[in-house]
Amino acid sequence: MDHRLVDQFRRAIGREAVLSDPVQLVTYECDALPHLRSLPELVLLPQSAADVQAIVRICDKEGIPFVARGHGTGLSGGALPVPGGVVISLAKLNRVLEVDIPNQRVTVEPGVTNLEITRCVAPSGYYYAPDPSSQQVCSLGGNVAENSGGAHCLKYGFTVHHILAVEAVLPNGELVQIGSPLADAPGPDVLGLLVGSEGTLAIVTKAVVRVLRKPESVQTLLAAFNSISEAGAAVSDIIAAGIVPAAVEMMDAVAIEAAEAAVHPNFPSADTILIVELDGPSAEVSELFAVVESTCRKSGATRVEIAQDEAQRARIWKGRKAAFAAMGRISPNYYVQDGVVPRTKLPEVLGRIRELEKREGLRIGNVFHAGDGNLHPLICYDERIEGQSALAEKVAGEILIYCLEAGGSITGEHGVGADKKEFMPKMFSEDSLEVMQSVRDALDPKRLCNPGKVLPTPRLCGEVPGPYREHPVERAGLGERF
Amino acid sequence: MGVTQALRQGSPEDAVDGVVPPVVAVPESPEELAQILAAAALDNQLTVVRGGGSKIGWGRVAARVDLVIGTQKLDQLLAHRYGDMTVTAQAGMSLASLNRRLAEHGQYLPIESAFEQATVGGIVATNDAGPMRHRFGTPRDLLIGVTLAMTDGRLVKAGGTVVKNVAGYDLGKLVSGSHGTLAAIVDVTFKLLPVPLASKTLVATYADGKALAHDVAVLHGSQVEFTAFDISVSDQGRCILLMRMASSPAAIDAQAAQARQVVSSAPTAVSGDEERALWEEHIRAPWALGGTVVRFSWLPSNLPAVFSLLDRVRAHGCRVTMFTARTSGAGLVRLEGDEPVLVGAIGALRSSEHVGHVVLLRASRTLKGQVDVWGKATGANEVARVLKRKFDPAGILNAGRGPI
Repeated sequence: MDHRLVDQFRRAIGREAVLSDPVQLVTYECDALPHLRSLPELVLLPQSAADVQAIVRICDKEGIPFVARGHGTGLSGGALPVPGGVVISLAKLNRVLEVDIPNQRVTVEPGVTNLEITRCVAPSGYYYAPDPSSQQVCSLGGNVAENSGGAHCLKYGFTVHHILAVEAVLPNGELVQIGSPLADAPGPDVLGLLVGSEGTLAIVTKAVVRVLRKPESVQTLLAAFNSISEAGAAVSDIIAAGIVPAAVEMMDAVAIEAAEAAVHPNFPSADTILIVELDGPSAEVSELFAVVESTCRKSGATRVEIAQDEAQRARIWKGRKAAFAAMGRISPNYYVQDGVVPRTKLPEVLGRIRELEKREGLRIGNVFHAGDGNLHPLICYDERIEGQSALAEKVAGEILIYCLEAGGSITGEHGVGADKKEFMPKMFSEDSLEVMQSVRDALDPKRLCNPGKVLPTPRLCGEVPGPYREHPVERAGLGERF
Repeated sequence: MGVTQALRQGSPEDAVDGVVPPVVAVPESPEELAQILAAAALDNQLTVVRGGGSKIGWGRVAARVDLVIGTQKLDQLLAHRYGDMTVTAQAGMSLASLNRRLAEHGQYLPIESAFEQATVGGIVATNDAGPMRHRFGTPRDLLIGVTLAMTDGRLVKAGGTVVKNVAGYDLGKLVSGSHGTLAAIVDVTFKLLPVPLASKTLVATYADGKALAHDVAVLHGSQVEFTAFDISVSDQGRCILLMRMASSPAAIDAQAAQARQVVSSAPTAVSGDEERALWEEHIRAPWALGGTVVRFSWLPSNLPAVFSLLDRVRAHGCRVTMFTARTSGAGLVRLEGDEPVLVGAIGALRSSEHVGHVVLLRASRTLKGQVDVWGKATGANEVARVLKRKFDPAGILNAGRGPI
């Protein structure tokens, strides 16, 4: 990058906050979708909203593309640097600014981790509900960008349901307050648009989040089934009984095998296991939990294990949450897909995935949020065998088509990012995409704010789709994928 | 316009807050609606989209309305995927009839309206919700997909029909609360809930707000999970706290027992038809009589300060009744008095540091002439205006009336 521009950034935010050494830049060349890589020209480390504003103003004036980045745990390449552009890391905006227990609100900067919010309010008996499994390390700013979910979003909703207000820098450098700590701000729900816009409309510099009172009771069971259709029937019957579980998760034999190999949760060997968790007032949980248990047995569960204490519950969840990373134990490489189908279509779509598995000769593990139909097929392959990487990618794409044909979505929680934008025209009409583009052009007319993400554009040079690789965060044991 | 069957001359029944439109269009299909809207935009016809008309008076007084587009013929339930607990309905379907249909499969959309004729499109456009928002949020929180007619005649979709989906921009959220200023809502898709197995409401009365505010704060921090948790305060200061529990039968009894331990005045319990009637009356009460209806919000911990503020307003000769005041910090007040008193009351609310977003929902045209309906523009509305210039470049949609 031109020295004149580098100097402008240095003057604006301080010399030490501007990284230009290629060795330092490498850390930022990808997020947790490491097959998409691009070296940024500079990485900027603002320490305040004013710094962010100053950076964006320079970018706006000089026509430099910029990409905001939290802690780099995104799974769709949303924080992939743009050639010729800068990365704005929000890692140093990491203060919890206010904890207001009587009003159940916490104000944080975007670099605060998801779990840190819960840690701040846990002593008072509260928690922050959205729980992506990277929650130990992922940033709240990233959660806002991706509208992150988690296992418990079936009952509690996504990030968008828990953010009350944000302060954000628009692509022209203007600092705006969107939303309100008070309810019922009149006018279009711009906050709802911003949450989940994958860093393409603004950079959040502060957020007011809602925290919830911890439920009085939590109960978890694990049920083993001989077939996915029996497990699916159990889920349908639980929901038909008027029960809204906190979480309903399913794993198939491949995923069970991998989890066992990695973290030894002592899962029963079965074709399918179902994990159901209820939370809420004690009387409600104990009354409804009995219904859940008998429903599982009636649907053909060969074994039902009820967590007797917190340790047992944690073990069940550890097995579930480790499932992605655990695939590494049974396959040299694997590809993580994220698609959604209407819940009732799960058996049908999983049947198609199993046919695909046979046809293409690649093992596919299935781990999914059965309550809301969010699938995470894990496609196993060996990159040393010629053609397998490409085949895995093709298989992953085929599964998204199955999801769309079943009336679902190409992403339930990982986002479109750089990874899936070419699938957008298969889900939305040209007109719909053009209107979405007009939203973007209204706020970012120069197309500098995280360009090349979400909406389809011709593929960039050097952008090679490829396999899942373990993220440094996972390797260090700091986080797992969902 | 080319779709003349859908057009008729406007009459006083079609008036938008006293302004009679010369032309009313009642399209029979989404395509026709989009076509009419595009023609109106080309011709700079100031257009108001109308559902059941229950909230048509909300907003500033229009200098002119050239066209009203009614959605009453777009009233079909398009799909109730009960196994998936989602529903897609056309914008003109009433919430009441939608919920009747959903009940056939033991499900419901947990949104209440004070108005029988309120449509699902209108509810999204105003993001208006009842007491169950305490547990389930407002319409935007339940909306998962939308079809919109744009002013250039395009029909576009955002979101989808699955409960979990992060693909593309959430235009459904964007039009929530937009009061018809950005696009016409054609159909909406919501996630649903099972009808609870049992429901019970505790009703506690208080002679003044202080004891009530204390109990509310304690319950707010407890692990009792209410489905609705509302208060109402009469002009004489008599306060009622309504606590609804909806869950399994044993659970509501246990929760009611927990709540009784906290509440300082002995509450009575109602269920069944009596409970339904109680909530219906509570929801309709602000609108049942005349008077100016104002919506406002506050931080829950400021409830005592809100009571003091309303007392000060009363001291200036304004009769103040507070309704459906969600304990989570949003509510309605009905103000009665002569015009200078009302102007003073609204001024007092707007200048208080304890409340915000003071919006006139129902007011006379003359009062609206003296006090702005929406109050100070928010940061979000500044951004929304930029978007409006893309969505509605001719500026025809709810022109001069809406929040942007």
